[in-house]
Amino acid sequence: MLSLIVILPFFSALLMAIVYLGNTKEKRYFFYTLIGVGTPAVSTILSFMVGNTLLDGSATIHHTLFQWISVGDFNIEVAFMADRLSVVMISFITFIGTLIHIYAAGYIKEDESYGKFFSYFNLFMGSMLLLVLADNPIMMFVGWELVGLSSYLLIGFYHQESSNITAANKAFILNRVGDFGFIMAISILFISLEGTGFTFDSIQENIGMIDPDRLSLIGILLFVGAMGKSAQIPLYVWLPDAMAGPTPVSALIHAATMVTAGVYMVARYSFLYELIPDVGIFIATIGAASALFAAVIASYQSDIKKILAYSTMSQLGYMFIAVGLGAYSSGIFHVFTHAFFKALLFMGAGAVIIALHHEQNIFKMGGLKKELKLVYITMFIATLAISGIPPFAGFFSKDAILVTAFASEHYIIWGVGSLTAMLTAFYMFRLFFTVFHAEPTETKKVHAVPNSMTTPLVVLAFGSATAGFLGVNEAYGGSSWFNTFLALPDAPLHLSHAKEYMLGGLNVLLGLLGMWLAYQLFAKDMREVQEDKIYKKVIINKFYIDEIYTFLIVKPLLFLSNFIAKVMDPKIFDGLINLNVWTYTKSAVLFAKLQNGKVRYYALYILVGVSAMSYYMLFKLGVVS
Amino acid sequence: MTPELFFLLASVLFSIGLVGLVSRRNLFVLYMSIELMLSSVNLLLATFSKVLGDASGSVIALLMIAVIAAEAALFLAMIVHIYRKNRTVDSDTFNKLREEVENA
Amino acid sequence: MMDHILSNIIFLPLFMAVILGAFGANLKILKIGALFSSIVTLLLVAWLTYHFDPHAQMQFVQNIPWIQKSGFSYFIGVDALSLVVLLLITLLMPPLYIYMYHEKRKGYWYNMMLLQTGVTGAVLSLDLVLFYLFWETMLLPIFIMIGKYGNGMHQYNAMKIILITILGSMSMLFSILYIGYMHFETTGVWSFALNDLSNIVFNAKTSIWLAAGFLLAFAIKIPLVGFHTWMAPAYGSAPTPAVVIMSAIMAKLGIYGIWRFGFGLFETTLVYYAPTIITLALIGLLYYAVRAITEENLRKMFAYSSGSHLSLIALGVFLTNEYAWSGSLYFIATHALASAGIFLMIGLTYKRFKTVQISSLGGIASKAPKFTFFFAFFALCIAGLPGTGGFVAELLIIIGAFKANLWIGALTATTMLSAMIYIFWMLQRTLFGTSNNNIEYPDLTMREMIMLLPLVILLLATGLAPSLFMPIFEPHLNATLHDVMIAIGGLK
Repeated sequence: MLSLIVILPFFSALLMAIVYLGNTKEKRYFFYTLIGVGTPAVSTILSFMVGNTLLDGSATIHHTLFQWISVGDFNIEVAFMADRLSVVMISFITFIGTLIHIYAAGYIKEDESYGKFFSYFNLFMGSMLLLVLADNPIMMFVGWELVGLSSYLLIGFYHQESSNITAANKAFILNRVGDFGFIMAISILFISLEGTGFTFDSIQENIGMIDPDRLSLIGILLFVGAMGKSAQIPLYVWLPDAMAGPTPVSALIHAATMVTAGVYMVARYSFLYELIPDVGIFIATIGAASALFAAVIASYQSDIKKILAYSTMSQLGYMFIAVGLGAYSSGIFHVFTHAFFKALLFMGAGAVIIALHHEQNIFKMGGLKKELKLVYITMFIATLAISGIPPFAGFFSKDAILVTAFASEHYIIWGVGSLTAMLTAFYMFRLFFTVFHAEPTETKKVHAVPNSMTTPLVVLAFGSATAGFLGVNEAYGGSSWFNTFLALPDAPLHLSHAKEYMLGGLNVLLGLLGMWLAYQLFAKDMREVQEDKIYKKVIINKFYIDEIYTFLIVKPLLFLSNFIAKVMDPKIFDGLINLNVWTYTKSAVLFAKLQNGKVRYYALYILVGVSAMSYYMLFKLGVVS
Repeated sequence: MTPELFFLLASVLFSIGLVGLVSRRNLFVLYMSIELMLSSVNLLLATFSKVLGDASGSVIALLMIAVIAAEAALFLAMIVHIYRKNRTVDSDTFNKLREEVENA
Repeated sequence: MMDHILSNIIFLPLFMAVILGAFGANLKILKIGALFSSIVTLLLVAWLTYHFDPHAQMQFVQNIPWIQKSGFSYFIGVDALSLVVLLLITLLMPPLYIYMYHEKRKGYWYNMMLLQTGVTGAVLSLDLVLFYLFWETMLLPIFIMIGKYGNGMHQYNAMKIILITILGSMSMLFSILYIGYMHFETTGVWSFALNDLSNIVFNAKTSIWLAAGFLLAFAIKIPLVGFHTWMAPAYGSAPTPAVVIMSAIMAKLGIYGIWRFGFGLFETTLVYYAPTIITLALIGLLYYAVRAITEENLRKMFAYSSGSHLSLIALGVFLTNEYAWSGSLYFIATHALASAGIFLMIGLTYKRFKTVQISSLGGIASKAPKFTFFFAFFALCIAGLPGTGGFVAELLIIIGAFKANLWIGALTATTMLSAMIYIFWMLQRTLFGTSNNNIEYPDLTMREMIMLLPLVILLLATGLAPSLFMPIFEPHLNATLHDVMIAIGGLK
């Protein structure tokens, strides 16, 4: 049953692909919707069933499909493992995934590549579930890469526009750069384990036999993979561009699931990371930097999806702060809550975009709270959640992270995190107010939004409101159910309840402050961002990082390639060969001159030759002494 | 009359013939030089025959005279033919069998 | 028939070609004959595989003294290593003939049959002179295909590939003859059979030169960086069937040669050469990949791609551990399939659009979805996507590299990055976007899909279930590696 959760989406993707390729023009709407949305739904039910068995207290479920490869000590099976961590992950992945599939059915309805979309979408689901349920690093890597492939396919879905493909390429290439580090880490890990088996369980048992330096190397390289997949500095530049894909894609992949794979990975390897706390601090620092960096950029963006993209990067930074500092459960908890409200935000944004005929600039929106009431309310809840206002989900998860930072005495990280919290509230409410409250600069006719799109919003809003209650910690009267269930090796915290309340209160204050600032600036009339001051120009242009990358990497590569093509190959390697040829032809010409056709010369040659031979024979070979 | 004198004469004749062969262009002179060289070889053979008391040297010399005569006939006939075609007996003009070199 | 099955497999195409040629067969009969020979050889090889014992060494051996006095014998046999290449050859010929279905020039058909005989013979020969004979025989059809039927500066490029390859072959011939001579010196008997010659003990200095002779020939074939300038022009000018065989089979024969004859005769000397070759391979891996980025001609681009991956395979062979060896042999198989696929697609592109310049293509995805799928699939296989065989092989080689040395491992891992840049950019420009011209883009016909489907299925099967395929050659590789390590162990 466990394997079905992963296999069903792959099969449905394959089925839909074959049917689609059979005749791409035919719109088998019913068929594709049934298979395309039905399969994730089935996976959801199965996931809940598996989760239920674990809730009842049974141990981790393993299921092996078949032996994948067996070379030397390298024995990998296609096998799945449902422990508490993965069960939590698959529960919300499948649930939110199914909701987004329903949403997508409405969003993509008019597109003629409807079948292709659901094929890709299911491929993604299967890959993500494989990643999470894998019982060994290799299978996880296969899922990891396939998720990247699905992302590529989906971002480039509107392939007629070349710029979308460029964005898709960027995503895949940067993912691969991360994977480069990841595969190095896995290989080194395998070699270091010297044949003691390569499933997560066996690695956990034998992790002690690897020396700390080697472990640090592995930990850092694994994180390089996470940097790529979860869009942290410096491998994040693909995420904003990835918004070129259809909005359901952004909601599912670039908000709720794929990008959180990096966090999941660190949590999965918690037994490794708890042995190398310094690497953890590095991870947390990168997370903090990414969080702040993204928040700053988001505050000046005008495209609704790009704001949300940077917001995702920022929230991911929080998750990495958590897992970096050893609070694995808190990190996963934030993954969990974030999935709800971020998916909701994206889906709401998609509804707004559709309603306004594909307008994506928030400053061309405004005053939508009357026309899109449902969207308005649900997005309000989500925005409150992400800003960390209690009792919504975001407060509990974000608070847990900041408390961890403070308690482990990493005050700079805590400071950065708190500042970012304020910025988060600011830019999110900036978005909210400009879209729904402010006076629109131009009146537009609002297109109706189908129910298939709005119903999931309601469900997710409910989730954003209540999901936080799963993880309330003792200070606020809860039992930290979420953390205890996960049973990850969290670093213990010692902080008095009083301090916790203070920190929590501070968070709320910062959130409200950001909200108030946004209200002041944007609720009444909005002004598009002006590039008047230098610092504004820099921030609006995303600190010119893309341009820097182009300069540092793309241009040298092209130069090198052309250099090889025009200089190395033709002049040096071919040059050597041509030198040979030149020598031969020149000497050939020389020798040819000897053969001038005149008999006298030939007679002379005979004379010379015979004389030399005679001399040699007579004097050197000892015929005459 | 020591044999050495005959050897010397033969060598001198051979050298004269050889130099003539190499440096002269006229076909008739070419042929005369070849004849000279052949004659010197004949002389050498006859001398050795006498010195070693072996008859085979003389036999070969006699044979060679016959062959040389035949060869003379052929060679001169060919020269006549060549002259009829090309109106010259300069051997340097007959260089069609050479390598065509385009550039120097 | 089954008694001398290997000889049948080698000579059937040649025999068919000779008979058809002698009777002046018309085109239709010729096509049927060629297709027939390829399918029969495939069936024979299938039977062979079924009856193959992975744990035995040389099987189905046939050893007929040929010129006994000089020691040449007709000595052929198959073991796991040759079986893999043999399977590839016979698997790829039928799709090629299907591709050539409308080809009217008889020369194509005759040459391909001759080519099949040549490569098959080369991979099955166990006598050094016999191997050399077949090695040279492979070149003739290629020369004609490129020189007569190619495009671009085809005559120049044909000369280039022939001369450079023959240079390598000549040096190999010198080594072969000298080794034979050494055998005569030590035992008083002339013999060029591999199992006889591998018993000779060379002194260190001579063996370095002798090995160099062989290695030069193989380095040119692979090609390793520095010996490669013949490759791109030849691939660019060659017609598709020739290109497929060149990339999928002949390049692999260079690796095969190192494995069979390099390790068969000179295990200890190869340790001496290993650092150089590994360095060249690592450089080549990146050099070719970087070069491919700005290449506009699709055939040349994948020529460089081929060079890059073959350098990786060569690297794996010289790492001499079980992971790298398994990975290399597996990569030989999967890369042959993937590169055959992509060159077939490029050929189909040429047939439809009369060009393989990227700048003239574009927007295919909107108009020919099946074509897009297959094209993208093969391209992604080459980029090493998990789920396809290439990934498994690359993973194994990377692990093998790390086992040897962390730095070599890190550099080897760059293979993950190398292919993706040029492949993804190429896909963008050829398949996606909109085309800047109004050429008709007919989608794939049923016949073309039938031709490509087996490749797709095999690539997926090798990627998803390697354990189905690896047991065929695992035991043999491990045994050989064991022997090699013992031989080397005396040194280290």
